[in-house]
Amino acid sequence: MFKELDPLLHSQLRLAVVSLLVSVKEAEFSFLREKTGATAGNLSVQLNKLSDAGYISIAKSFRDNYPLTTCKVTDKGVKAFETYVEDIKSYLKK
Amino acid sequence: MEATEKQISESEGFEIIQKMINTVKSEIDNSSFYNLLWGWLVFIASLGEYILIRVDYAWHYITWILMPVGAVVTVIYSAKRKREKKARTYLDDLMKYVLIAFLVCLCIVLFFQGKLQLNTYPMVMMVYGIWLFISGGTIQFKPLMIGGIVNWILAIVAFFLPFDQQLLILALAVLLGYIIPSYQFRKKMERHV
Repeated sequence: MFKELDPLLHSQLRLAVVSLLVSVKEAEFSFLREKTGATAGNLSVQLNKLSDAGYISIAKSFRDNYPLTTCKVTDKGVKAFETYVEDIKSYLKK
Repeated sequence: MEATEKQISESEGFEIIQKMINTVKSEIDNSSFYNLLWGWLVFIASLGEYILIRVDYAWHYITWILMPVGAVVTVIYSAKRKREKKARTYLDDLMKYVLIAFLVCLCIVLFFQGKLQLNTYPMVMMVYGIWLFISGGTIQFKPLMIGGIVNWILAIVAFFLPFDQQLLILALAVLLGYIIPSYQFRKKMERHV
């Protein structure tokens, strides 16, 4: 019996974002956009979904008078990611 | 990536994770700038002082004026790098703490050189060795670790030598411990780009 994959992570862009944030301590919005190749609008929407679920935290500040968005994965996000990886492994083993 | 919420298969999910983690690997600071800057500065200063001692120049220690110059360049360069860097990795933090520990130890040794006298440069090499060994191990680059070991060996040798010859040993230590491994590292990173 296979577990149902976390629908929040089982999406191309959100999974890419969480994978990146698990690997780095914190990343700016532009870094995530560059690495995922997503549009700013779509990335923004997906980041908010992850933030609403408590998987990531988003900090907004300013640098040289320009808005700066920095993202960090939370403990809940790391746990969800680990569970997702375990679940996906069981699918791939079949 | 698509602007919509694209459905993926399990294997695609796995591929995305792999791809993203590999992307982050390329974020390792590959400039070697600091090692090369300080390597050459200390090399020139120590070798320069040795030459000035040999020619009986009274102000032979003048060559160490290069150190504040290096500090200014480092501050300017690191401020620039900080602005360019869009992600902070766990490795960045680890390297930062190792560097801080190294600088604190180095300052303590240099501050007490009046007490340490002839033991100062061997102690400096010991501290360099710790920094190089840990940095090399962290980024999994053996030449830097070997550089650290070479510094420890040269520190032991320097304990038995007079001051002017210690300067030559210090120049050799930075050449083998910093300069050569840093050029090797730079070459390695260029191959990976």
